[in-house]
Amino acid sequence: MTRVGIDALTYYLPAYAPTLSELEARGALRGPASTLAGFGFERARVAESESHVDMAMHAVRALLSETDTSPDEIDLVLYAGALTSSSTMECSPAPAGSVLRLRDFMDFFKYPVSRLQSELDLSNASVAGIDQQGCAAIFSSVRLARATLLAEPDVHTVLCVSADRLPHGTSREVVYNLVSDGACAMLMRREPKRNRIVATHQVTKGAFWDSGSLENEIIAAYFPTARTVIEDTLRKAGVTLDDIRWVIPHNVSLRSWEILLGLIGCPREKLFSANIRRVGHTIAADNFINLRDAADAGLVHPGDLLLLFTFGYGLNWSCMVLEH
Amino acid sequence: MTSRPASGRRTILVTGGTGTLGVELVSRLARGSHASVVVLTRGTARPRPALPPNVQMLTGDVRRGPTFGLDPSDAATLREHITEIVHCAADTTFNRPLAEARATNVAGTQAVLAFAKECQHLERMACFSTVYVAGRTRGCFAEQDVGGADGFVNSYEQSKAEMEAVVRDAMRELPIAIYRLSTIIGDSRTGEVTGLNAIHHALRLLYQGLAPMVPGQETGLVDLIPVDFAANASHYLFEHEFSPGATCHLCAGAAGSATLGALLDATMTAFERYRPAWRKRSIARPAIVELETYELFVRSVEEAGNQVLLQATRAVQAFAYQLAYPKVFDNRHAGVVLARAGIAAPNVLEYYDRVVRWCVEKNWGSAS
Repeated sequence: MTRVGIDALTYYLPAYAPTLSELEARGALRGPASTLAGFGFERARVAESESHVDMAMHAVRALLSETDTSPDEIDLVLYAGALTSSSTMECSPAPAGSVLRLRDFMDFFKYPVSRLQSELDLSNASVAGIDQQGCAAIFSSVRLARATLLAEPDVHTVLCVSADRLPHGTSREVVYNLVSDGACAMLMRREPKRNRIVATHQVTKGAFWDSGSLENEIIAAYFPTARTVIEDTLRKAGVTLDDIRWVIPHNVSLRSWEILLGLIGCPREKLFSANIRRVGHTIAADNFINLRDAADAGLVHPGDLLLLFTFGYGLNWSCMVLEH
Repeated sequence: MTSRPASGRRTILVTGGTGTLGVELVSRLARGSHASVVVLTRGTARPRPALPPNVQMLTGDVRRGPTFGLDPSDAATLREHITEIVHCAADTTFNRPLAEARATNVAGTQAVLAFAKECQHLERMACFSTVYVAGRTRGCFAEQDVGGADGFVNSYEQSKAEMEAVVRDAMRELPIAIYRLSTIIGDSRTGEVTGLNAIHHALRLLYQGLAPMVPGQETGLVDLIPVDFAANASHYLFEHEFSPGATCHLCAGAAGSATLGALLDATMTAFERYRPAWRKRSIARPAIVELETYELFVRSVEEAGNQVLLQATRAVQAFAYQLAYPKVFDNRHAGVVLARAGIAAPNVLEYYDRVVRWCVEKNWGSAS
C-alpha cells in the first residue's frame, strides 16, 4: 500500500514574546494573568508588523530552503487558516470596533494562497484554501493532501501551509487559553522519509457553530468527544495508547491536557508539553511546531508512533497517528 | 409505655409526611388501617391530593425541639395519643453546610426521640436513614454495618450517620427500627418525580450539555429505587414485620441496580426518544473518569471562575463523588422479609426510561 506522510516541516513564530503580566497590563487578557499561569501558560508570540501571509511566506521559504526543494516541485498548495481573517488579505490595523478591515468589496477576492504562490513562484502548483474548521484546519489540509497524493498520480508534492494572526487589539485569551500568532509549512509526499500518516480522524458537531454564545457548552463538549475521537483514531490505526511514544498536542492549557490525559488513561510523561508555556496556543500550527521541536530535541526517533490531536471551533475534533 | 391509650386506637405520628416518601407512606398507613395518622408538616409543602379523613395535618417543625413548636398543651395531648412514630423528616440536600444538615437530621431526630420518650403508649418507631451512611466505603455494605469509617462524600451522608448513632443509642429505651433508603428517583409506574434530588439535577445538566464527565467506573453499580417500592417496603416492614433494633436496607441491591455506563446510555437514548430535536444538539455522553481526573476538572472550573460551569459542577459533585466509591448494598435481611410479601425492588432499567421521560416532558417539573 502506498505510504503518504509529512516529509518535512518548519514553522515561523514572531519574535515578540510578551509575558502574561505584560499582556495583562495592556488589557490583552479577559481574566487575571494568574489564572492562565496556573493553567500552564507563560508568554505568547505576537506579530507586530507581520501579517498572516508574511508569516506563511517566512515558513514556506524556510521549508524550501531547508529541504533544498525547488518551487517548481510543488504541485498543490493547501492553505489553512483558523480565523476567517486568515482567508483574506486583511489590512491592518483594523479600525476601532472592528477586527478586520477590507478596503472595498473586491478585497473579498484577494486570496492569501494566490499571493503566496505568486510571491514564492510556485508556478506549477494549483492552490486551495482550507478554513472554517478553527484550529483543526491544518489537520484537514494534511488529510486532503494525503487523499490527493493517493488519488492523483500526477501530484507528487503537496505544500500544506497554515498561518493565523489575531487581529490587533483583540484579547489574547480565548476560553482560558493564551493565543499566539504563527505559521507552519509542510511538504507531503508519497513514501516519505518520516512522519508516515497511519490514520486520521475528524468529528464535526455543527450544533455548536455559535461559538460566542455557547462557550460553556463547548467547554463541556470538548472532553468526552475528544476522548472518543482519540480512541477511534487509535482503533483506525490499529494501535493502542501503549504503542504511542509521544502525544503531540495543540497548545491549549496544560491543565486541560492533564484532564484529557486522565480521560484517555495516558501517562503525563508521554505529552510533549514544553511549548505550551513558552509559545502558547498558535491556533492552527501548534501540533506541527511541537512535532518539529520534539524532533529537533532528539525526542522522536524513527519508527516512533505519535498521536496528534487538535480541536477547533465549528466544532471540530481532529486526530492523527504518525509513524516518525 | 406500650399499653394502648384509653381510646384503644392507634395514632401514628409521621414527620416529613409531605415529602417524596412521606406522602406515599401516609397514604398507605391511612388506607391500610383504622389508625389516626397525624402528619407533622412545616406548612411549606406543595398542595397534595386529598388525603383520607383519618389523616390530620399539624403544623410543626422537628427543628424546634421536643414540642415541635406546638402549643405545649397540644404537644402534651399528642404525646398521650401517639402509639407509633414514623420519622421521615430530613434535610436531603446533599451539599448543605454540615451545621445546617445536622440541625434537621441530628438535632431534629433528637427532638423526635425526646418526644417519643414522653409518649406513654409508644409501641414502635421507624427512623428513615440512607444507605449512603456508608460514605466512602467501597465494596459490600451490609445492614449491620455502621459506615463512615472512610469518611463521607457529603454533609447529608455524615449527618444521617450521626443521626443513626443517636437513634441506636435511643434503641436501649425505645422500640425503634432504622430503614435505610437508597436514592429515590421516581414512580416506577408513571415515572413521576414528586421531589427533585441531585440525580434529577444532574440529568438536567446532562440534557443541557453541561456535564462533561462523571467520576466512577463504567461497570460500577448505581443503586436507585422507585418511590412506590420504598413506600410499599417500609409500610410492610413497619406494619407487619416490625423488628425493634433492626436496620433494614430498602435498596435495589445488586440484582436491581444497573451499571453507571448502562444508565448513561439509557439516559441518552431516552433524551433522543422523548425529545428528538435534542439529538441535533450533538451532546456527547459524559465521560466516566477516575476521581482524580474529575477533581482536576472541578478545580480548573473553580480557578477559572466560570459561574455557569461552577454551579453545574457543584450540582453534579454533590452526588457524583459517591460514584467514585463503587459499592453494593447488601439487603439480605430486608430482602428475605419483603420477599415473603412479594415485595422487591424492580431493576432500575425496567422503569428508568419512564422517569427520564417524565423529566423531559415535564421539563423537570417546571411545566405541568
